[in-house]
Amino acid sequence: MSVATTRRRRVRPSTVLLTAGVGVATLVVLLPLFIVLFTAFKPSAEVNAFPPTLLPQAWTTENFDRIFSDLPFARLIANSFVFAGGVTLFALVFDSLAAYALARIDFAGRKVLLVGIVATLMIPFQATLIPVYQIVSDLGWVNTFTGMIAPRAADAFGIFFLRQFFLSLPRDVDNAARIDGASELRVFWQVVLPNARPALMTLAIFVFVNNWNDLLWPLVFTTEQEMSTITSGLTLLTGPGGIVPYGVMMAGALVAVVPLVLAFMLVQRKFIESIATTGLK
Amino acid sequence: MKRTAAFLAAPLCLALVLAGCSAADPETSDGRVHLTFWHGYTESDGDVLNQLVEDFNASQDDVVVSTEVNPWDVIDDTVLPALSAGSGPEIVAMPAERLPVYADRRALVNLDDFYADEPATADVQPGALDMVTTGDGTYGVPTGFVPLTMFYNKTLFAEAGVEVPRTWDEWVAAAKKLTVDSDGDGTPEQYGLALADHATVGNGVWPTLFYGNGGDIVEDGTAVIDSPQNAETLRFWHDAIAADSISPTGLDGVKGDSLFASGRVGMYVGGPWMASVAEENDVDYGIAPVPAGPDEQAASAIGVAMALTVQADDEQRAAAQEFFSYFLAHEQAVTWSLGSGWPPLRTDVGPDEVASNPVVAALTTQAPLARPLLPGVVNNADVLEEVDKLTQRAMAGQPVDGLLAEAQREIQVELDE
Amino acid sequence: MSTAQAAGPRRRDFRAPAPLGGRRPAPRGRSSRGRSTRIAFGFLAPALVVLGVFVVWPMVSALQMSFTDASGFGQAEWVGWDNYARIFTDADIRDAVVNTVVYAVLFTPTAVVVALALALLLNDPRLPFRGLFRTALFLPFIISLAVAALAWSYLIDPQVGLLHYWLRGIGIDLGNVLQDPTLAMPAVALVAVWKNFGFYMVIFLAGLQDIPGSLYEAAKMDGAGPWSRFRHITLPMLSNTTAFVLIFAMIAALQAFDQIYVMTGGGPYGSTQTVVMEIYESGFRQLELGFASALSYVLLIATLLLSIVQFVFFGRREEES
Repeated sequence: MSVATTRRRRVRPSTVLLTAGVGVATLVVLLPLFIVLFTAFKPSAEVNAFPPTLLPQAWTTENFDRIFSDLPFARLIANSFVFAGGVTLFALVFDSLAAYALARIDFAGRKVLLVGIVATLMIPFQATLIPVYQIVSDLGWVNTFTGMIAPRAADAFGIFFLRQFFLSLPRDVDNAARIDGASELRVFWQVVLPNARPALMTLAIFVFVNNWNDLLWPLVFTTEQEMSTITSGLTLLTGPGGIVPYGVMMAGALVAVVPLVLAFMLVQRKFIESIATTGLK
Repeated sequence: MKRTAAFLAAPLCLALVLAGCSAADPETSDGRVHLTFWHGYTESDGDVLNQLVEDFNASQDDVVVSTEVNPWDVIDDTVLPALSAGSGPEIVAMPAERLPVYADRRALVNLDDFYADEPATADVQPGALDMVTTGDGTYGVPTGFVPLTMFYNKTLFAEAGVEVPRTWDEWVAAAKKLTVDSDGDGTPEQYGLALADHATVGNGVWPTLFYGNGGDIVEDGTAVIDSPQNAETLRFWHDAIAADSISPTGLDGVKGDSLFASGRVGMYVGGPWMASVAEENDVDYGIAPVPAGPDEQAASAIGVAMALTVQADDEQRAAAQEFFSYFLAHEQAVTWSLGSGWPPLRTDVGPDEVASNPVVAALTTQAPLARPLLPGVVNNADVLEEVDKLTQRAMAGQPVDGLLAEAQREIQVELDE
Repeated sequence: MSTAQAAGPRRRDFRAPAPLGGRRPAPRGRSSRGRSTRIAFGFLAPALVVLGVFVVWPMVSALQMSFTDASGFGQAEWVGWDNYARIFTDADIRDAVVNTVVYAVLFTPTAVVVALALALLLNDPRLPFRGLFRTALFLPFIISLAVAALAWSYLIDPQVGLLHYWLRGIGIDLGNVLQDPTLAMPAVALVAVWKNFGFYMVIFLAGLQDIPGSLYEAAKMDGAGPWSRFRHITLPMLSNTTAFVLIFAMIAALQAFDQIYVMTGGGPYGSTQTVVMEIYESGFRQLELGFASALSYVLLIATLLLSIVQFVFFGRREEES
């Protein structure tokens, strides 16, 4: 079946309207991202020019040159991968284990524990940052990846999110496995986890993105520049008196987001698929 | 259960691997006293400062200072957790107005003995010292002290045929001539002036204007902002802007900086870094003192200072004072002034000694105009926030008398806290 | 491994979150509750160790600090309820609470409605390039909030902003949005909606996959129109997902900080000053950790109460439907 025949049969005013509506909404949503993209290629004189234009009048890569010359770029990206990747890895393992127990095992104090875990989300991190830092410092982990990763190796949102998902999986299969004598760990690992891939992937993206983009956390826990991440490293580009060199900053933002988009595209096929295949039913 | 244990152990092993590959502790046992120094000089000024530190390290065998550079905002956010856990720097530089609050909360070491013993300190700019002194004594060593100054765009001045203004009236008149609204839509494409109404450069633009007309904000721990002089000042500038749109409204200092750098503004009250920012953006600029007000010519100063933290032990305190003495010596004061682009911190360094840098020389002649901002006021951040609210509302056209009365009340509350 | 997996359910799609209150797992006949408690805590141990050391213990020390005049240095003095008393008498805090509520009311429903609407549109089988649209609409979530805030500030800047310029071209004067005390808060809330709706949208998309298509077909046969199908099938079937998104969006809204810090710094004249901005300023700027901690606990309790109200509300609706 060719695209053409599909079209001839299917094109109706409502479809055109729907596509146009979603298309316009998408363009509006993407406008600030176009600004980031095009400003990155503008020479500094054009950034504050009037009247403003979307596209650069004279394309330049000077902003990128500055990024690569002023920052230890490869090191920053590598640090970001270790930090965000490390947090994601631990959080997925620890959160899913905890979520499994909360969703699938009947034990005393389950509900109280769940409420307690969710309640920890309700205190702003600014309030606990200093005590957390003191603990990390007492453990001798300042300026180490361990110090950056360990405090985030499990998080309440992830536990709650996965628990909700595990609850919605049908129970007959794991009960059958248990009757066959499988241990809880086996049920978790071989029955529940394989079926939870979409949820795990969603959480992985959420955790990875949030940590990759986190500014203050790496700054607080690493004072040495060779331990900095790309997001916190970009703050070094702030000019004297707090001036933000927009072009350079946008170039930096673009370069910082590229690995993220690549990582997203890598998993999104599966991620979208898991939604898309059933969307057609 | 064995499997469970193995399963749990795997991530923990990974954690240990990560711990193992993390940066090594820089502790060395060479018998020298080690000091960490955090500062926010991120531009070429930072290179000069780091060079001074290296020179100091080479000049003697007892003390090694190592620097870590981050933007000032970042230092402000990170130094508190670091110091509260005892893993922060022994020496930290910060904007001088941030220093009193750290001193008041017992984060810094009192330097009165250093000032009594070190003869070089007698020559330090007194205004700079006022900014690092609280009721309990002196807590910092100035690394920068400069009056706000007027930058003007020579190209635009030539086009409009205006002279550098010397008084407020000349200032407004020049600004009118420099303002261009070619399409007549009421929004000029080129402004005579960029006058920020909140979060101004070094929080000093409005204090500067208040001083010009004989007003002030706080005197001897009492709010004096609600004065007829200040009311007059606010009305004068509101009317000047409202009548002829000589300045955009709603600006803050950072926006003002970038507008002047874009070449669309004739005059701007800014910090010394505007010289290099203008050069980078190919703006042909000139430097002049802020025009005199009806009552006097004065300019609020921007200060930066370094302090010794309570984390330092006795040995480190003595070592840090050696570094301070080195930094304040005549030769280093000249090097630092030329390298940072800020005027010399010592009163005995004249304009001739820094003539090789015309910007520094110009700023040095303006040094007598400098007035420290809210010296000794621990709560200055809250006071300045009230000033921001006042000026922003006044420039938006709200009645000045009520605003001043409210600001007076609020500032007094902050001072009494 | 393969046998158990093969026996597992085929569908790997993403399901709607379960009721927030949760269903009690079926009692397990073959083992005692004591044994399952031991196993459960085996599973929970790693997470509980991390949360205990790096979340709960810091929360306990913050609670302790909230009764002192701690600054982070030197000996803190016990001041009893003074910090809490100050919270309830300080006019600035009262304003910040009002601002935070306004922000939450602007942000939460808007984010949820936008996310749901786009999820419904993207779920329509008639829409071409759905994968492309999904990816594009998810992009704002990937970019860092600091950059997003910079880009938006730049877009609506009255001097050099492109959006400002374009809108003026068609006769709409945006003015100086971020310096206008009535517009600044809606603007920062809108930026947060833009930044976060993508994630909520994905959760809704997942929830939508769990609604059996047969329900819609049956409704169509009964002559139900699109609105009626949405009202009587989609909405009730999505109520668990909606509750989940709503509660977490609200928790996030009550902690609004980042884009406000970058875009307005709390101004103009304090009109975007939120509770967490106050916590940050009193903690990190004024070095009044005791007061900042007390304020954090008041926020925690308020959030908890609001969440419980939502739990109860959604729990009741669940029973009714």
